[in-house]
Amino acid sequence: MKKISLMASGLLVLVLAACSNETGNSAAEEADSLLKSDWKNVTEEAAGQEVNMYMWGGNENINRYLDEWVAPRLQEEHDVELNRVPVNDAQDFVNQLVDEKSADKTEGSMDIIWINGENFKAAKDNGLLWGNFTGQLPNFQDYIDPEAPEVAADFGEPVEGLEAPWGKAQFVLVYDEDKVKNPPKSMEELAAWAKENPGKFTYPALPDFTGSAFIRHVLYETTGGHEQYQQPAAEIADLETRLEPMWQYLNGIEPYLWRKGETYPESLAKQEQLFASGEVWMTMSYDPALAASEVLKGRFPESTRTYVLDGGTLANTHYLSIPFNSSQKAGAMVAINEMMSPEAQTAKLSPKNWGDLSALDFEKLSAEQQQALNDVDLGAATLPIEELEQKRLPELSSDYIEIIEKGWMENVAKD
Amino acid sequence: MKGFPRFIKAFLFLFLFVFIVFPFVPLVLSSISYGWQWPNVLPESFSLRAWEYVLFGSSDTLRAIGVSLSIALIVTAVNVVLAVPAANALARYQIKGKWLVEAILFAPIVIPPFVAVMGIHLTFLRIGLTETILGVVLAHISPTLPYVVRSVIISYNTLSTDWEDQARMLGAGAFSRFYHVVLPHLLPGIAAGASLSILISLSQYLITFIIGSGRVVTLPILLFPFISGGDPAIASAYSLLFAAMAIGTLMGLDFALKRYYRNKKTAAGKTVEE
Repeated sequence: MKKISLMASGLLVLVLAACSNETGNSAAEEADSLLKSDWKNVTEEAAGQEVNMYMWGGNENINRYLDEWVAPRLQEEHDVELNRVPVNDAQDFVNQLVDEKSADKTEGSMDIIWINGENFKAAKDNGLLWGNFTGQLPNFQDYIDPEAPEVAADFGEPVEGLEAPWGKAQFVLVYDEDKVKNPPKSMEELAAWAKENPGKFTYPALPDFTGSAFIRHVLYETTGGHEQYQQPAAEIADLETRLEPMWQYLNGIEPYLWRKGETYPESLAKQEQLFASGEVWMTMSYDPALAASEVLKGRFPESTRTYVLDGGTLANTHYLSIPFNSSQKAGAMVAINEMMSPEAQTAKLSPKNWGDLSALDFEKLSAEQQQALNDVDLGAATLPIEELEQKRLPELSSDYIEIIEKGWMENVAKD
Repeated sequence: MKGFPRFIKAFLFLFLFVFIVFPFVPLVLSSISYGWQWPNVLPESFSLRAWEYVLFGSSDTLRAIGVSLSIALIVTAVNVVLAVPAANALARYQIKGKWLVEAILFAPIVIPPFVAVMGIHLTFLRIGLTETILGVVLAHISPTLPYVVRSVIISYNTLSTDWEDQARMLGAGAFSRFYHVVLPHLLPGIAAGASLSILISLSQYLITFIIGSGRVVTLPILLFPFISGGDPAIASAYSLLFAAMAIGTLMGLDFALKRYYRNKKTAAGKTVEE
């Protein structure tokens, strides 16, 4: 069995190397032609395919948006069936793909995966992604600027067409208007506010994703801006001394945090619980519309508002990609293209559906499409998109994130 | 139960209430609450949002319950078929290297199933068993079989071979001896083992996810992302459904057992415990 598949893949390499035009039955070769052929051929091949989309399944709104908005439209317009597979953590399916790769499984069942950051880097480094497919998608060609920094690199890792942008997220701070009159707009103000209101502020313990993002804002503001961290961490010789002011700041506010900083909420979910129950007066989120949708669900009070720091907040993009062994690649391309359409992105923006920011380049949309995006009622708890866009900061690459998370344990948590 | 003084009865009832019924109260409240804020002891307003999503939305909950139950029942049936002969041999024969066989059989209790399942996954991938119910059933057998074997061994330990010898002298064949003499004696042990097997199989998340690759959707597969994602209302609704499913299955088993005893009262009269 193994010998045959080895021989087959060896043969395939030869065939591809020779750029032969002979028609092979190999799925890999067919898939390769998808990267070059007309979009019309792709949609024809996609008709009748059933596409499995592996994604985190812990949010009712997101699940409903896919099952009730995206899937029926794909079925009706392109005869592509979208089957959402709920997953607890994106890392799980990346690990699974690693196993499938080492077992030479060529007909995999994952057709679309939802990833970014670390998981993208892991997938790319292990060769788990199919190829440079995004240039083939009409909606990518029409509405995305591939050179824009937030689309060209994913947490510092060049995207190279391996994944298509699906949406954007930006870090916001969340507060209760009834309790906090003037929310602190910088780290300096935050320290003063925490002292005035002891026990009413905290952040999720690292390595929580959102807690870790909060610390990166402290890093940018206390050590003199983000520009210096655009190079690999290993190239900064005095990194430890540069990080020192950040630890000082965090240890300085610690006695004024929730439960005197003796402990931190173990996850963002716990921190949200504290905010929902009124125990702390501020929380944070990497999803600018989360507060609005929690208000709609009745979990956060009506007086919940969000804001960004004067110096800006971190922003990132999340992506859809196709694994190397997907057996329905044409269907996956059609589905991803549909999810990037202005209609789908506009629907996605509404907090009633999901509240996720559009991945499209606003300038490239027609006047009507722009109008439609602007008309979406984001709810009182969400900031206008222009205000968010003006205050974006680039993410830090994962080598720094590791160093900071370890450093937090040693310098802040242990003291 | 009849001989117990009243206060012990009352105490047992209280114990049952505090430790089994009481923890369900917050779950029920949380699943139907709308904006439940500190320091209110009870939610101020209610909403059926979570139940609507879980039962009528696109979540496919009912199918997941069906898949969970069929896997648990198949796993348990296979376990019983494997465990009875294994327990017979382990309890009654002095075999060389018996300790080794026992060690292997009980290893899954001690070794975290995650360790084994990583290896199983690669093998199953090669032979094409991933993403199938069959693969998940086979993988669930490893953490459940030890419990069934263990409880059937205990039943065998209290069954002397004299009973079978006597039946043989009366002219009973191998099948009759097993069916009329051995099986009735083993039944309580089999029922205990089967209950554990069902419960353990129903609550597997990691093994099901890895071997089923997300394509075999059981209730825990739907439930887990909500627990870590922090939607307490939906997580509570799913947890209640899960508890109902587990309790319902155990009660079904109990009912079947009682019926068996009622029909077999003469043959199994000695082992009936009411």
